[in-house]
Amino acid sequence: MIKVSPRYCCTVLLAVVSSLILRSTASGGEISFIPAGNYAPFYTKEGSSSSEDKLIRVKAFLLDIHQVTNEEFRQFASSNEEWRRGNVSKLFADTHYLQHWGEEGKEFGPEEGNKPVVNVSWFAAQSYCESVGKRLPTTDEWEYVLNDMDRNKEAVHRAVMDWYAVPNRELPSLINRPKNGFGISDMVAVVWEWTNDFNNFMVRSDARDSGSKAAFCGGGSLNVTELDNYAAFMRYSYRSSLQGNFTGKNLGFRCAKDKE
Amino acid sequence: MKKYILLTGLVVGLALHGSILYAHEHDHTAESKKIVTPKSDSIFNINDVWTSSEGKQVQLSQLGGKPTVIAMVYTSCQYVCPMIVSDMQRIEKSLSKTENSKVNYAVFSFDPDRDTPDKLKDFAGAHRIISDNWVLATSNPSAVRKLAVSLGIKYKKDKSGDFDHDAVITVLDSDGVIKYQQSSVGKNMDEATAVLKKLMR
Repeated sequence: MIKVSPRYCCTVLLAVVSSLILRSTASGGEISFIPAGNYAPFYTKEGSSSSEDKLIRVKAFLLDIHQVTNEEFRQFASSNEEWRRGNVSKLFADTHYLQHWGEEGKEFGPEEGNKPVVNVSWFAAQSYCESVGKRLPTTDEWEYVLNDMDRNKEAVHRAVMDWYAVPNRELPSLINRPKNGFGISDMVAVVWEWTNDFNNFMVRSDARDSGSKAAFCGGGSLNVTELDNYAAFMRYSYRSSLQGNFTGKNLGFRCAKDKE
Repeated sequence: MKKYILLTGLVVGLALHGSILYAHEHDHTAESKKIVTPKSDSIFNINDVWTSSEGKQVQLSQLGGKPTVIAMVYTSCQYVCPMIVSDMQRIEKSLSKTENSKVNYAVFSFDPDRDTPDKLKDFAGAHRIISDNWVLATSNPSAVRKLAVSLGIKYKKDKSGDFDHDAVITVLDSDGVIKYQQSSVGKNMDEATAVLKKLMR
Protein backbone atom coordinates (compact mmCIF):
# COMPACT_ATOMS: atom_id res chain seq x y z
CA MET A 1 0.00 0.00 0.00
CA ILE A 2 1.45 3.41 -0.90
CA LYS A 3 1.41 5.98 1.85
CA VAL A 4 0.07 9.26 0.56
CA SER A 5 2.13 12.06 2.00
CA PRO A 6 2.09 15.71 0.92
CA ARG A 7 5.51 15.16 -0.60
CA TYR A 8 4.23 12.22 -2.58
CA CYS A 9 1.28 14.22 -3.95
CA CYS A 10 3.63 17.01 -4.84
CA THR A 11 5.91 14.57 -6.58
CA VAL A 12 3.08 13.04 -8.55
CA LEU A 13 1.70 16.43 -9.54
CA LEU A 14 5.06 17.63 -10.71
CA ALA A 15 5.70 14.40 -12.51
CA VAL A 16 2.39 14.72 -14.35
CA VAL A 17 3.04 18.34 -15.23
CA SER A 18 6.59 17.73 -16.40
CA SER A 19 5.63 14.68 -18.40
CA LEU A 20 2.87 16.66 -20.09
CA ILE A 21 5.30 19.40 -21.02
CA LEU A 22 7.89 16.93 -22.19
CA ARG A 23 5.48 14.84 -24.22
CA SER A 24 5.15 17.56 -26.82
CA THR A 25 8.77 17.10 -27.87
CA ALA A 26 10.80 13.96 -28.45
CA SER A 27 11.29 13.34 -24.78
CA GLY A 28 12.12 9.70 -24.25
CA GLY A 29 10.32 8.13 -21.31
CA GLU A 30 8.11 9.59 -18.61
CA ILE A 31 10.00 11.51 -16.00
CA SER A 32 9.42 12.05 -12.28
CA PHE A 33 10.46 14.84 -9.92
CA ILE A 34 12.96 13.81 -7.28
CA PRO A 35 13.10 16.20 -4.31
CA ALA A 36 16.44 17.19 -2.79
CA GLY A 37 17.74 15.15 0.11
CA ASN A 38 20.60 13.22 1.65
CA TYR A 39 21.66 9.65 1.60
CA ALA A 40 24.41 7.71 3.30
CA PRO A 41 26.49 5.81 0.77
CA PHE A 42 27.58 2.31 1.69
CA TYR A 43 31.17 3.34 2.08
CA THR A 44 32.11 5.60 4.94
CA LYS A 45 34.91 8.03 5.23
CA GLU A 46 37.54 6.72 7.56
CA GLY A 47 38.24 9.02 10.44
CA SER A 48 35.15 11.16 9.98
CA SER A 49 33.35 10.60 13.23
CA SER A 50 30.30 12.80 12.74
CA SER A 51 27.44 11.19 10.85
CA GLU A 52 27.01 14.44 8.87
CA ASP A 53 30.21 13.70 6.97
CA LYS A 54 28.83 10.41 5.82
CA LEU A 55 25.86 11.94 4.06
CA ILE A 56 25.81 12.88 0.41
CA ARG A 57 23.60 15.82 -0.49
CA VAL A 58 21.64 15.48 -3.72
CA LYS A 59 19.89 18.44 -5.33
CA ALA A 60 16.35 18.14 -6.70
CA PHE A 61 16.27 16.76 -10.23
CA LEU A 62 14.12 14.76 -12.66
CA LEU A 63 14.55 11.07 -13.42
CA ASP A 64 12.98 8.71 -15.96
CA ILE A 65 10.42 6.46 -14.29
CA HIS A 66 11.66 3.45 -16.22
CA GLN A 67 14.72 2.45 -18.21
CA VAL A 68 14.96 3.37 -21.88
CA THR A 69 13.24 0.64 -23.91
CA ASN A 70 14.19 -1.18 -27.09
CA GLU A 71 11.55 0.76 -29.01
CA GLU A 72 12.71 4.12 -27.69
CA PHE A 73 16.28 3.29 -28.56
CA ARG A 74 15.30 2.01 -31.99
CA GLN A 75 13.77 5.38 -32.81
CA PHE A 76 16.97 7.07 -31.70
CA ALA A 77 19.20 4.77 -33.74
CA SER A 78 17.04 5.11 -36.83
CA SER A 79 17.30 8.89 -36.83
CA ASN A 80 20.99 8.97 -35.81
CA GLU A 81 22.78 6.73 -38.23
CA GLU A 82 26.11 6.85 -36.41
CA TRP A 83 24.38 4.88 -33.64
CA ARG A 84 23.11 2.06 -35.85
CA ARG A 85 24.52 -1.35 -35.22
CA GLY A 86 26.81 -1.55 -38.23
CA ASN A 87 27.96 2.05 -38.08
CA VAL A 88 28.97 2.71 -34.51
CA SER A 89 32.67 3.44 -33.99
CA LYS A 90 34.74 1.09 -31.84
CA LEU A 91 35.67 3.98 -29.59
CA PHE A 92 31.99 4.38 -28.68
CA ALA A 93 30.79 0.76 -28.47
CA ASP A 94 32.29 -2.72 -28.52
CA THR A 95 31.30 -5.45 -30.97
CA HIS A 96 28.35 -6.63 -28.84
CA TYR A 97 26.51 -3.35 -29.29
CA LEU A 98 22.78 -4.11 -29.72
CA GLN A 99 23.66 -7.72 -30.46
CA HIS A 100 20.22 -8.90 -29.26
CA TRP A 101 18.63 -7.04 -32.17
CA GLY A 102 17.98 -8.50 -35.59
CA GLU A 103 18.76 -6.72 -38.82
CA GLU A 104 17.39 -3.29 -39.61
CA GLY A 105 13.63 -3.21 -40.05
CA LYS A 106 13.10 -6.29 -37.88
CA GLU A 107 15.16 -5.46 -34.84
CA PHE A 108 12.88 -7.23 -32.35
CA GLY A 109 9.45 -8.77 -31.97
CA PRO A 110 6.47 -6.74 -30.69
CA GLU A 111 6.77 -8.22 -27.20
CA GLU A 112 10.36 -6.93 -26.94
CA GLY A 113 9.64 -3.27 -27.64
CA ASN A 114 8.76 -2.36 -24.07
CA LYS A 115 11.66 -4.21 -22.51
CA PRO A 116 14.69 -2.26 -21.37
CA VAL A 117 17.32 -1.81 -24.05
CA VAL A 118 20.60 -3.55 -23.18
CA ASN A 119 23.92 -4.04 -24.96
CA VAL A 120 24.39 -0.29 -25.05
CA SER A 121 27.61 1.50 -24.17
CA TRP A 122 28.02 4.56 -21.96
CA PHE A 123 28.64 6.69 -25.05
CA ALA A 124 25.42 5.42 -26.64
CA ALA A 125 23.43 5.98 -23.44
CA GLN A 126 24.90 9.42 -23.03
CA SER A 127 24.12 10.36 -26.62
CA TYR A 128 20.56 8.99 -26.38
CA CYS A 129 19.86 11.11 -23.30
CA GLU A 130 21.29 14.21 -24.97
CA SER A 131 19.10 13.60 -28.02
CA VAL A 132 15.97 13.89 -25.86
CA GLY A 133 17.21 16.93 -23.94
CA LYS A 134 18.28 14.93 -20.90
CA ARG A 135 21.50 13.51 -19.43
CA LEU A 136 22.57 10.39 -17.57
CA PRO A 137 22.02 10.55 -13.79
CA THR A 138 25.10 10.94 -11.62
CA THR A 139 26.03 7.98 -9.44
CA ASP A 140 24.99 9.97 -6.36
CA GLU A 141 21.59 10.78 -7.87
CA TRP A 142 21.08 7.19 -8.88
CA GLU A 143 22.06 5.76 -5.50
CA TYR A 144 19.90 8.35 -3.74
CA VAL A 145 16.83 7.25 -5.69
CA LEU A 146 17.60 3.60 -5.05
CA ASN A 147 18.02 4.39 -1.34
CA ASP A 148 14.51 5.92 -1.49
CA MET A 149 14.80 7.70 1.88
CA ASP A 150 15.14 4.24 3.43
CA ARG A 151 11.52 3.40 2.57
CA ASN A 152 10.86 -0.29 2.05
CA LYS A 153 14.46 -1.13 2.66
CA GLU A 154 14.04 -4.81 3.32
CA ALA A 155 11.92 -5.42 0.23
CA VAL A 156 14.53 -3.74 -1.97
CA HIS A 157 17.26 -5.75 -0.36
CA ARG A 158 15.36 -8.99 -0.89
CA ALA A 159 14.67 -8.15 -4.55
CA VAL A 160 18.37 -7.57 -5.15
CA MET A 161 19.38 -10.81 -3.51
CA ASP A 162 16.80 -12.75 -5.53
CA TRP A 163 18.07 -11.10 -8.69
CA TYR A 164 21.69 -11.92 -7.93
CA ALA A 165 20.68 -15.52 -7.19
CA VAL A 166 19.17 -16.14 -10.63
CA PRO A 167 21.41 -14.67 -13.29
CA ASN A 168 20.30 -13.92 -16.86
CA ARG A 169 16.59 -13.90 -16.19
CA GLU A 170 14.32 -12.90 -19.04
CA LEU A 171 13.83 -9.11 -19.00
CA PRO A 172 10.32 -7.88 -18.14
CA SER A 173 8.19 -5.47 -20.15
CA LEU A 174 8.37 -2.09 -18.40
CA ILE A 175 4.64 -1.42 -18.47
CA ASN A 176 2.84 -1.05 -15.12
CA ARG A 177 5.85 -1.77 -12.97
CA PRO A 178 5.73 -1.15 -9.22
CA LYS A 179 7.19 2.19 -8.11
CA ASN A 180 9.28 3.21 -5.16
CA GLY A 181 8.55 6.17 -2.87
CA PHE A 182 9.95 8.59 -5.46
CA GLY A 183 7.61 7.18 -8.11
CA ILE A 184 10.47 5.40 -9.90
CA SER A 185 10.39 1.78 -11.10
CA ASP A 186 13.00 -0.97 -11.07
CA MET A 187 16.08 0.75 -9.73
CA VAL A 188 17.35 -2.74 -9.08
CA ALA A 189 16.62 -6.30 -10.06
CA VAL A 190 15.95 -5.76 -13.78
CA VAL A 191 19.21 -4.53 -15.33
CA TRP A 192 22.37 -2.77 -14.20
CA GLU A 193 22.34 0.88 -15.22
CA TRP A 194 24.92 3.32 -16.56
CA THR A 195 25.56 6.48 -14.60
CA ASN A 196 27.23 9.56 -16.02
CA ASP A 197 30.24 9.30 -13.71
CA PHE A 198 30.57 5.52 -13.58
CA ASN A 199 34.31 6.20 -13.86
CA ASN A 200 34.35 7.86 -10.47
CA PHE A 201 37.58 7.71 -8.57
CA MET A 202 36.65 5.59 -5.56
CA VAL A 203 38.89 6.54 -2.70
CA ARG A 204 38.33 8.81 0.24
CA SER A 205 39.13 12.40 -0.51
CA ASP A 206 42.44 12.68 1.34
CA ALA A 207 43.87 9.50 -0.13
CA ARG A 208 46.23 11.30 -2.45
CA ASP A 209 48.23 12.33 0.63
CA SER A 210 48.11 9.10 2.55
CA GLY A 211 47.91 6.46 -0.14
CA SER A 212 45.09 4.62 1.63
CA LYS A 213 43.06 1.78 0.19
CA ALA A 214 40.04 2.10 -2.03
CA ALA A 215 36.73 1.60 -0.23
CA PHE A 216 35.97 -1.83 -1.61
CA CYS A 217 39.40 -3.33 -1.25
CA GLY A 218 40.52 -5.54 1.60
CA GLY A 219 40.61 -3.71 4.90
CA GLY A 220 38.42 -0.94 3.56
CA SER A 221 35.49 -3.30 3.52
CA LEU A 222 35.32 -3.15 7.30
CA ASN A 223 34.05 0.41 7.01
CA VAL A 224 30.81 -0.50 5.33
CA THR A 225 27.90 1.24 6.97
CA GLU A 226 25.76 -1.84 7.17
CA LEU A 227 26.62 -5.43 6.61
CA ASP A 228 23.59 -6.04 4.44
CA ASN A 229 24.98 -3.57 1.97
CA TYR A 230 26.84 -6.36 0.28
CA ALA A 231 24.61 -5.53 -2.68
CA ALA A 232 26.11 -2.07 -2.84
CA PHE A 233 29.61 -3.50 -2.99
CA MET A 234 28.55 -5.46 -6.02
CA ARG A 235 27.15 -2.37 -7.69
CA TYR A 236 30.17 -0.16 -7.03
CA SER A 237 32.60 -2.87 -8.07
CA TYR A 238 30.61 -3.57 -11.19
CA ARG A 239 30.58 0.10 -12.15
CA SER A 240 34.27 0.50 -11.55
CA SER A 241 34.97 -2.47 -13.82
CA LEU A 242 33.26 -0.81 -16.78
CA GLN A 243 34.74 1.14 -19.65
CA GLY A 244 32.91 3.62 -21.83
CA ASN A 245 32.52 1.37 -24.85
CA PHE A 246 31.54 -1.76 -22.90
CA THR A 247 28.13 -3.29 -23.51
CA GLY A 248 26.38 -6.05 -21.59
CA LYS A 249 23.22 -8.08 -21.90
CA ASN A 250 22.20 -6.96 -18.40
CA LEU A 251 23.33 -3.38 -18.71
CA GLY A 252 20.87 -0.62 -19.65
CA PHE A 253 20.18 2.95 -18.58
CA ARG A 254 17.65 5.64 -17.85
CA CYS A 255 18.00 9.40 -18.27
CA ALA A 256 17.79 12.31 -15.85
CA LYS A 257 17.33 16.03 -16.20
CA ASP A 258 18.18 19.14 -14.21
CA LYS A 259 15.27 20.78 -12.50
CA GLU A 260 14.60 24.05 -14.33
CA MET B 1 58.76 -22.69 -33.49
CA LYS B 2 56.28 -20.63 -31.54
CA LYS B 3 58.65 -17.72 -31.60
CA TYR B 4 58.96 -17.99 -35.34
CA ILE B 5 55.20 -17.87 -35.86
CA LEU B 6 54.95 -14.90 -33.58
CA LEU B 7 57.68 -13.12 -35.48
CA THR B 8 56.08 -13.81 -38.82
CA GLY B 9 52.82 -12.50 -37.45
CA LEU B 10 54.53 -9.38 -36.28
CA VAL B 11 56.20 -8.75 -39.63
CA VAL B 12 52.99 -9.32 -41.57
CA GLY B 13 51.16 -7.15 -39.07
CA LEU B 14 53.64 -4.33 -39.46
CA ALA B 15 53.57 -4.59 -43.23
CA LEU B 16 49.78 -4.38 -43.22
CA HIS B 17 49.87 -1.51 -40.81
CA GLY B 18 52.31 0.33 -43.04
CA SER B 19 50.14 -0.09 -46.09
CA ILE B 20 47.07 1.14 -44.24
CA LEU B 21 48.96 4.19 -43.12
CA TYR B 22 50.18 4.76 -46.63
CA ALA B 23 46.69 4.49 -48.08
CA HIS B 24 45.42 6.81 -45.41
CA GLU B 25 48.06 9.39 -46.19
CA HIS B 26 47.14 9.15 -49.81
CA ASP B 27 43.56 10.15 -48.99
CA HIS B 28 44.80 13.25 -47.24
CA THR B 29 46.39 14.68 -50.35
CA ALA B 30 43.24 14.25 -52.42
CA GLU B 31 40.94 16.44 -50.34
CA SER B 32 40.99 18.74 -47.37
CA LYS B 33 42.07 16.99 -44.15
CA LYS B 34 38.95 18.03 -42.27
CA ILE B 35 36.57 15.60 -43.95
CA VAL B 36 38.65 12.49 -43.28
CA THR B 37 36.55 10.12 -41.18
CA PRO B 38 38.44 9.15 -38.03
CA LYS B 39 39.50 5.55 -37.57
CA SER B 40 36.88 3.56 -35.70
CA ASP B 41 38.83 3.37 -32.44
CA SER B 42 40.27 6.88 -32.64
CA ILE B 43 39.55 9.45 -29.94
CA PHE B 44 39.10 11.88 -32.85
CA ASN B 45 35.56 10.49 -33.04
CA ILE B 46 34.81 12.82 -30.15
CA ASN B 47 33.99 16.22 -31.59
CA ASP B 48 33.66 18.40 -28.49
CA VAL B 49 35.18 21.85 -28.75
CA TRP B 50 37.89 22.87 -26.28
CA THR B 51 39.44 26.29 -25.70
CA SER B 52 43.23 26.49 -25.63
CA SER B 53 45.40 28.61 -23.36
CA GLU B 54 45.76 30.91 -26.37
CA GLY B 55 41.98 31.33 -26.51
CA LYS B 56 41.62 29.26 -29.69
CA GLN B 57 38.83 26.75 -30.32
CA VAL B 58 40.31 23.30 -30.73
CA GLN B 59 39.02 19.82 -31.40
CA LEU B 60 40.80 16.57 -30.63
CA SER B 61 41.10 15.77 -34.34
CA GLN B 62 43.44 18.73 -34.74
CA LEU B 63 46.05 16.56 -33.01
CA GLY B 64 45.99 14.33 -36.08
CA GLY B 65 48.97 13.87 -38.37
CA LYS B 66 51.49 13.53 -35.53
CA PRO B 67 51.65 11.22 -32.54
CA THR B 68 50.54 12.92 -29.31
CA VAL B 69 51.50 12.64 -25.68
CA ILE B 70 48.30 13.38 -23.82
CA ALA B 71 47.40 13.83 -20.14
CA MET B 72 44.64 15.26 -17.97
CA VAL B 73 45.36 17.57 -15.05
CA TYR B 74 43.90 20.59 -13.23
CA THR B 75 45.98 23.61 -12.47
CA SER B 76 45.07 24.08 -8.78
CA CYS B 77 46.44 20.60 -8.19
CA GLN B 78 49.39 20.88 -5.82
CA TYR B 79 51.36 17.72 -6.22
CA VAL B 80 50.32 15.10 -8.76
CA CYS B 81 49.57 17.31 -11.78
CA PRO B 82 52.88 19.20 -11.87
CA MET B 83 54.55 15.78 -11.73
CA ILE B 84 52.51 14.57 -14.71
CA VAL B 85 53.57 17.62 -16.69
CA SER B 86 57.20 17.19 -15.70
CA ASP B 87 57.02 13.54 -16.81
CA MET B 88 55.81 14.78 -20.20
CA GLN B 89 58.67 17.26 -20.26
CA ARG B 90 61.13 14.48 -19.56
CA ILE B 91 59.90 12.79 -22.72
CA GLU B 92 60.31 16.07 -24.57
CA LYS B 93 63.86 16.55 -23.26
CA SER B 94 64.91 13.07 -24.32
CA LEU B 95 63.97 13.81 -27.94
CA SER B 96 65.90 15.91 -30.41
CA LYS B 97 64.54 19.16 -31.79
CA THR B 98 63.69 17.47 -35.10
CA GLU B 99 61.96 14.64 -33.31
CA ASN B 100 59.97 17.06 -31.18
CA SER B 101 58.74 18.84 -34.29
CA LYS B 102 56.94 15.57 -35.13
CA VAL B 103 55.12 15.28 -31.79
CA ASN B 104 52.19 17.03 -30.08
CA TYR B 105 52.00 17.43 -26.31
CA ALA B 106 48.43 17.93 -25.10
CA VAL B 107 47.19 18.71 -21.60
CA PHE B 108 43.45 18.76 -20.93
CA SER B 109 41.88 20.13 -17.78
CA PHE B 110 39.53 18.25 -15.44
CA ASP B 111 38.36 21.56 -14.05
CA PRO B 112 36.14 23.66 -16.35
CA ASP B 113 35.02 25.86 -13.45
CA ARG B 114 38.41 27.14 -12.42
CA ASP B 115 40.70 26.50 -15.38
CA THR B 116 40.09 29.44 -17.69
CA PRO B 117 42.34 29.82 -20.74
CA ASP B 118 44.29 32.47 -18.78
CA LYS B 119 44.78 30.08 -15.88
CA LEU B 120 46.14 27.51 -18.32
CA LYS B 121 48.46 30.12 -19.76
CA ASP B 122 49.80 30.93 -16.28
CA PHE B 123 50.24 27.22 -15.63
CA ALA B 124 52.18 26.82 -18.88
CA GLY B 125 54.36 29.75 -17.91
CA ALA B 126 55.00 28.40 -14.43
CA HIS B 127 56.08 25.10 -15.93
CA ARG B 128 58.20 26.72 -18.67
CA ILE B 129 56.11 25.29 -21.45
CA ILE B 130 57.15 27.50 -24.34
CA SER B 131 57.26 25.29 -27.39
CA ASP B 132 54.29 25.59 -29.76
CA ASN B 133 53.86 21.83 -30.11
CA TRP B 134 52.18 21.96 -26.69
CA VAL B 135 48.47 22.59 -26.30
CA LEU B 136 46.67 23.16 -22.99
CA ALA B 137 42.90 23.24 -23.18
CA THR B 138 39.72 23.51 -21.14
CA SER B 139 36.09 22.76 -22.00
CA ASN B 140 32.86 21.77 -20.21
CA PRO B 141 32.05 18.90 -17.81
CA SER B 142 30.56 16.72 -20.55
CA ALA B 143 33.61 17.05 -22.81
CA VAL B 144 35.91 16.34 -19.86
CA ARG B 145 33.91 13.23 -18.97
CA LYS B 146 33.96 11.92 -22.54
CA LEU B 147 37.70 12.39 -22.92
CA ALA B 148 38.44 10.81 -19.53
CA VAL B 149 36.16 7.86 -20.31
CA SER B 150 37.91 7.39 -23.67
CA LEU B 151 41.31 7.43 -22.02
CA GLY B 152 40.10 5.15 -19.20
CA ILE B 153 40.88 7.79 -16.60
CA LYS B 154 38.85 7.70 -13.38
CA TYR B 155 38.21 10.95 -11.55
CA LYS B 156 35.91 12.54 -9.03
CA LYS B 157 35.40 16.11 -7.92
CA ASP B 158 35.44 16.38 -4.14
CA LYS B 159 33.50 18.79 -1.93
CA SER B 160 36.29 21.37 -1.97
CA GLY B 161 36.27 21.47 -5.78
CA ASP B 162 39.52 19.53 -6.11
CA PHE B 163 39.77 16.30 -8.07
CA ASP B 164 40.81 12.79 -7.21
CA HIS B 165 42.08 11.31 -10.42
CA ASP B 166 44.25 8.72 -12.07
CA ALA B 167 47.65 10.01 -13.11
CA VAL B 168 48.07 8.61 -16.60
CA ILE B 169 50.17 9.51 -19.61
CA THR B 170 48.83 8.28 -22.95
CA VAL B 171 50.55 8.09 -26.32
CA LEU B 172 48.26 8.41 -29.34
CA ASP B 173 49.33 7.62 -32.86
CA SER B 174 48.81 10.18 -35.63
CA ASP B 175 45.27 8.83 -36.14
CA GLY B 176 44.28 9.37 -32.52
CA VAL B 177 44.38 5.70 -31.55
CA ILE B 178 45.72 4.88 -28.08
CA LYS B 179 49.05 3.08 -28.47
CA TYR B 180 50.51 3.22 -25.01
CA GLN B 181 49.49 4.19 -21.48
CA GLN B 182 51.34 4.29 -18.24
CA SER B 183 50.71 5.64 -14.80
CA SER B 184 52.65 8.80 -14.29
CA VAL B 185 54.21 10.62 -11.33
CA GLY B 186 57.95 10.42 -11.40
CA LYS B 187 58.12 7.18 -13.35
CA ASN B 188 60.67 6.20 -15.94
CA MET B 189 59.45 7.47 -19.32
CA ASP B 190 61.76 5.41 -21.52
CA GLU B 191 59.07 3.07 -22.74
CA ALA B 192 56.68 5.86 -23.64
CA THR B 193 59.52 7.61 -25.45
CA ALA B 194 60.39 4.46 -27.39
CA VAL B 195 56.76 4.00 -28.47
CA LEU B 196 56.62 7.61 -29.53
CA LYS B 197 59.78 7.33 -31.64
CA LYS B 198 58.31 4.37 -33.49
CA LEU B 199 55.16 6.34 -34.29
CA MET B 200 57.02 9.30 -35.76
CA ARG B 201 57.07 9.72 -39.47
